[in-house]
Amino acid sequence: METLSVAFFFIALTFAAYFLLNLIYIKFHYSFLMPALTATFIIVLFLLATGISYDTYMIGGEWIDRLLGPAVVSLAIPLYKQRKLVLDNVVPVLAGIFVGVVTGMSTGIALAKAFDFSHLLILSVLPKSITTPVAMEVSEQLGGIPSLAAVFVMIAGFTGIILGPAFLRLLRIESAIGIGMGLGASAHGIGTAKALEYGPQEASISSVAMSLSAVFGSFLAPVFVWIFFL
Amino acid sequence: MKILLFVLQFIFIYGFFLLGQLMRELFNIPLPASIIGFLLMFSALSLKLFPLRFVESGATLLLSFLPLFFIPATVGVIEYISTFAGKGAFLIVILIFSTLLTMAASGWTSQYLARKTEKEQGVE
Repeated sequence: METLSVAFFFIALTFAAYFLLNLIYIKFHYSFLMPALTATFIIVLFLLATGISYDTYMIGGEWIDRLLGPAVVSLAIPLYKQRKLVLDNVVPVLAGIFVGVVTGMSTGIALAKAFDFSHLLILSVLPKSITTPVAMEVSEQLGGIPSLAAVFVMIAGFTGIILGPAFLRLLRIESAIGIGMGLGASAHGIGTAKALEYGPQEASISSVAMSLSAVFGSFLAPVFVWIFFL
Repeated sequence: MKILLFVLQFIFIYGFFLLGQLMRELFNIPLPASIIGFLLMFSALSLKLFPLRFVESGATLLLSFLPLFFIPATVGVIEYISTFAGKGAFLIVILIFSTLLTMAASGWTSQYLARKTEKEQGVE
């Protein structure tokens, strides 16, 4: 009985934090007010202030966590709806995603290795440019730390939207396909939200780049670990 | 009635995730269960095994709450806060640098290949 009320409390807390902070985000619309960031921050502060352990929080949290798997499966639906866009640009789209995944994973792993970070951290950095739920599963399977992977994914996302627009202009990446691909392949869902500000075409390409990067990334991540840690 | 529809669609989508988990264990596939489920769902739709409307509203609803679903796992960072102290802060520099390289490489590749195809088609 007590476990049940604990579970209910933390589920309610997470929902309440998310919905309230989402209202604030909708009102002001600054990227750093995204509820994934602010709600996580508030809950972490709450746990630190009350001294409640993460394990206790997860008695409720795990029920929300279980919805991640079916949500990733659902990503197949927008991709299916955009299949014509992919088929019309099959070479640029697939090549862009492949090059993006290879660049992201190889530079991440090589730099972290060069600066002597632990194996555990490197395996959590590796999937940083793929969408959070998949990145967590990938890092867990390889022996990394899913929660750290989630934070690294967030850092990649914010890099993409804060520095991305100026960087893309500097590189003269100005076509819809270039902008959408650049944002989606490096900054996943957060980048896709930014791509929407450019236009519907950029957003569609970005969302395609995000879902296919997750697929390519989960295939290639074990290969990179094998190459770099042989 | 609408809620019932969402529940049914959710169960159907969840079934694909469970199927992904099952296949992963049975055949030792080195992919996340959710990605196997994703590939199965995409294949099923492409093969027209069932119409899009069977899953569309349920999937759209689930995806609109996606950021909520990864909050509990992200909160787990509480156990690793020390990672970002001292040398760990440099990891953030690496992440930023690698993310920008990823953006440049993928964006440039797609733009270059798209323009090349356009030109070739223009000549024909």
